[in-house]
Formats: sequence, structure tokens, C-alpha cells
Amino acid sequence: MKKRMRRRSMAAAVAAAALFVAGAALAATPGVNECMDCHGDRTIEKSLPGGKTQSLHVDLQEYRHSVHGGSGCVTCHADAKAPHDKLGKVACGKCHGDAEKSYAGSAHGKLRAKGVADVPGCDGCHGKHDVRKVKDPASRVFRLNIAATCLRCHKERALEARYSHLPDHKLIAAYEQSVHGMASKKAGLTGSAVCPDCHGNHNILPADQPRSATHRQNIPTLCGKCHPGILGMYEKSVHGKGMRGGIADSPVCTDCHGEHTIVRASDPSSPVNSRNIPRTCSGCHEKEGISSKYALPKKRFSSYMDSFHGIAVEYGMTKAANCASCHGVHDILPSSDPASSVNPANLQKTCGKCHPNASPNFAKGTIHVEVSPKKAMGVFAVRMFYTVFISALVILFVLHVGLELYGRWSRKRAAGKEEKP
Amino acid sequence: MSKADLASGQVIRMSLLFRVQHLVLTALLLVLAVTGFSLMYHDNALAQAIIRLEGGVHNRGIVHRIAAVLLMANVVHHLFYMFFSREGNREFRDLAIGRRDIDDFLQSLRYNLGVGAEYPRFGKYGYKEKFQYWGASAGTVLISITGFMLWAEEFSMRLFPKVFLDLAMVVHGYQGLLAFVILFFWHLYNVHLHPSVFPMNPSWLTGKVSAEWLRQEHPLEYEKLKGEGLL
Repeated sequence: MKKRMRRRSMAAAVAAAALFVAGAALAATPGVNECMDCHGDRTIEKSLPGGKTQSLHVDLQEYRHSVHGGSGCVTCHADAKAPHDKLGKVACGKCHGDAEKSYAGSAHGKLRAKGVADVPGCDGCHGKHDVRKVKDPASRVFRLNIAATCLRCHKERALEARYSHLPDHKLIAAYEQSVHGMASKKAGLTGSAVCPDCHGNHNILPADQPRSATHRQNIPTLCGKCHPGILGMYEKSVHGKGMRGGIADSPVCTDCHGEHTIVRASDPSSPVNSRNIPRTCSGCHEKEGISSKYALPKKRFSSYMDSFHGIAVEYGMTKAANCASCHGVHDILPSSDPASSVNPANLQKTCGKCHPNASPNFAKGTIHVEVSPKKAMGVFAVRMFYTVFISALVILFVLHVGLELYGRWSRKRAAGKEEKP
Repeated sequence: MSKADLASGQVIRMSLLFRVQHLVLTALLLVLAVTGFSLMYHDNALAQAIIRLEGGVHNRGIVHRIAAVLLMANVVHHLFYMFFSREGNREFRDLAIGRRDIDDFLQSLRYNLGVGAEYPRFGKYGYKEKFQYWGASAGTVLISITGFMLWAEEFSMRLFPKVFLDLAMVVHGYQGLLAFVILFFWHLYNVHLHPSVFPMNPSWLTGKVSAEWLRQEHPLEYEKLKGEGLL
């Protein structure tokens, strides 16, 4: 309270001083009303090269409602006189020093410093005379509006063409249809992730830079800001431990769920939908490089796809087990871990989730049947027997038929010879 | 055999009941082959198209099992008939395998190679028919047992380790392939393409064959019928 009182008296003192100065040099520092004499005119404009024009009109109402509406024009346009020539650049950093500093290190800021004109400065996102508080629902950077503000540029194909490191504009725009985008756009929830929650605001950087909020190494922590329970499970999983241990091949959230395209797992287009899980997991686990490098069992995907479960899932029977049904989701552990759902000691329980009658006896032995003498001798031998047996039968049939036809032909010839002489 | 048949030199080879059993078997085996192989070769584009045609992998299973149950009913009916009817009993004796069949087989090889002088004298069923009949019977037993194991998977899981089901699946599939190969290479050749019957042995439809064909291919049966005064 005391502080506020002091601030108020300070403000009063400053205002009085300003009035004094204003009175002393009226022509040099015009008040809002003087400025509006010209800029209140809706038709005021300046000519640009190429015959175009730019409106110089300032909407007083809009300005008054803005966060800066209480101060005068000259607070920002320090060099304004009445009348005046082209004004100098507005320096927001004069008051917003932290924001300016962090912006200067961002992808936008660096390009702008190089003189690239089509990256947003402060006004690009916050507006000019109509700057509002971030929490004001009418603000361009309010949580429910920010996506539209960013997408105004990032939806453009032209932008993607100019800056080659930018991902596909369609991919970025896919955010609008994502579970996060729909939650804010359709349901109007402010708790859903919007652009700056992941990418940062002033300090936005491309994901390939280690300092970027969206760099691979930062993804689990980033998503964990809103999904802490899942992060906790992930950290304990083989993937989480690997990732924290610096293994770059270890998957982070976005590797399975996608980024801007994230949809609910129940959505058929989700890579973690029960129908798509096998392909998503095998994106890494069917790679020779990955299984060799980390001494993982091979042919997990093909052996699964040849099983009843695999075929059923492939044809849309999503009730059948996919990778996650047995191995877990965020809490995946190697089968050697006693806590793993696919540890031999836990298999009966895991199979029992769907097959309550499965006996301890049933869960013994290979689950992913890789047909080779070393991995599944029985199945391999039976298959081999049938293959040889069937092939031999076919050959014998053909021989038998051939012999029969040969016999008929040779007897006919012999009979013909006997008749002739 | 009617007098008209005798006059035209026709002999009954398949009674109406056997013809019906044979037609039912043919139709069901085709259904089982189409639904079964489309699952066995599910990587193949044609197999996938067939599964879609069948209304997905779930419906495919239902069709396959309905056909299997009907086939087994057909087999049970056949068994009862073979054991408990006079005609069936006679057929069963005709189909019994003996030392003679091996001799006949070797004799036919010798004859066709030009070493033996005489073609073997077959009864109603020679080694070709017997091989077909008993091969199919053994296959049906094996494929039914494994089929039931896989159908009642919850029950099987209580009794067997998983490897039994894995083996059952392999046996079931390959036994089907084996049956298919025998039917296509052996049976269809013998009843359609063989020079003595080409384009087909009509008995599966009319039940009759010519007495002359019987005299040449199954002389013992011909003589037996003659001895009984049926010719």
C-alpha cells in the first residue's frame, strides 16, 4: 500500500514535470490531441515507392483501450513534433529491456538485426497502437489468440520457401487440428498447450539448437510441464533412462506422438492408435542398426505381424494385442527387469489381461516366434518337414504322370511298328 | 443298375449318397481353401483382397469355421455310412490297403517303363484311389484336431504351452496346403486329364462309367460284376 502511494506521488510529480516541460516547449513535444489533429483523419496516408500508400491513421479509441493508452504519443515516438517528417524507430526495449534482450537472441531477433524485414518485431505479434496485456482476451498474444497470430505468418507456403529450415507449413498448421489446438480453439480451454508453451516467446529458437526449448534433449521435460505423471513413468522406463543417459536414439515424447499433429490415441490417425502402434514402434525396432547397436532381439515386427495378434490388428480388430498391450506404454522396461510386464515371471499375468485362462505353463517359451533352428526348432522342423514332403510329393506326382504318358506313347509306337510290316 | 443302363453299357460307380457327399466335400473344401489360404498368405495382395471380400479377418474366421463344422458333419455321416450300411461296408472292404497295392504300384511302373508285360489288374479301387482316399482321411483328422485346438484357444491355453499352439498353426496350414496339392496334382489329373477319362470321369455327376472303361481300368471289378450277373 505504502509502495503504491509512493508510486502514485512519483507519477504525479513526473506528470507535473511533464506539464511544465510541455508548457515550456509546446511545439517540440505535442500531446495526444495535437497528434490526433492529423492522425485522427481516416484519410491520412503516405505514398510508398511503387505507387502504394500506407495509412497513417491512428484509431484513438483503440489506443485508449491499449495497455499504453494512458501515456502520450511521445513516450514511444520521442522525436515527434507537430508537424514532423519520418519518425525514428520505436524502441520498446527502453521500457521492456528483458524482452528486448531475449528477443535479440531469438531466431526472429537475429534475422531482424541482419535487416531482414519479414520477421516479426515487437509489433508483429503484440500490435502497434492497440497493444494489450497478455491476459486480456482481446490481446493478439492472449492464450486463445496466439496460435492464430503465429500462424498468420507460419501458415504461409511462401515463408517455408524462403526459410529452408522451417518445417512444412502444413505440418505447422496441423496444430489447429491437433488435440492441443482443438482444446484451445474449439473448447476454449486456456490450459491447453499453445505455441509459446513449447517454443518459448521472445527467445524462440529452431529445434536443432541445443538451447531451444524444443530441442530433443528438452522435449520430455517440456511435455512434462503439463503431463508430469506421464513424465514420471517415462523417466523410469528404458526409453527415459536411455534418453537421460545421453542415448540419442532413445525416443522422446514426440517420436511416438508427433508434434504439431498430436491427436488423441483413440483417433485412427494417431501414430499411437492401437492400429498404428506396431508400425510406430518398428520405426526403430525393425531397424538392423538399432537392434545390433543395443543388442535387442531382432525381427520383432515381422514375427508379430505373422502372429494372430498382428494379423488381427492389421485387419482392424483393434481388440487384439499390439506392442503396447504387452510391453507397456510410457513404462516400457526390458524383459530382463523383474518389474517388466514381459518379464517371464509376469507373463502369465500379462497374457491373462486378455486370456484369463492362460496357465503358467502357457506363458513359457517364445512369444515372438522367429522361425529359425536356433529360435524355434519345433516350428522350424515341422515347417521344413512339410515343405520337403509337399515338394517331394509334387515331384513324384509329376514323375508318375510323365511315366504313365511315356508308357502309353511307347506302347502306341510299338503297336504302330508291328502293324506296318 | 437299370436295364437301360446295361443296354447302353453303363455301370454304376458312385451311388447317389456318395455323389452328394462328394459334392458337399468339394464345395466345403473350396470355401476352406479360399478362407484358409488368404489367412496363411496374408502378406499377398490377392489374399488381402479376398479377406476384404469376406468382410474382414473376423468374418473370414466365421465363414471358415462354419465350413469346417459342415465338413466334419459330412465326415461323421460318411463314417457312420461306411461302418453301418451294407453298401458302405462293401466300399470299405474295397478301399482296404494291402500288400497287393504295393505290388500293383510297382507293376504299373514296370509296365510303363516297358519292363513288365502286363498292366496291373485293379479292383474297384486301385492304388491311385486308395492313396487319395486314405491321404485325405489322415489329413482331415489332423487338420480337424489342430483346427479345434486353435478355435478353442482359451481352452488350449489352459492345457498346453504356447509352442503347442504355434505348432498346431503350422500343421493346420501346411496340412491344408498338402491336401490342396494332392487334390490338384493327383485327384484332378486322375479324374479329368488322364487319357482314359479325358475330359472327365462322369461318375461324380451321373454316378456311371462305361463298362468298357471298367473292363480296361478295373478288370477285377468288371469280372466281379459279371460273375454276379450284373453285366
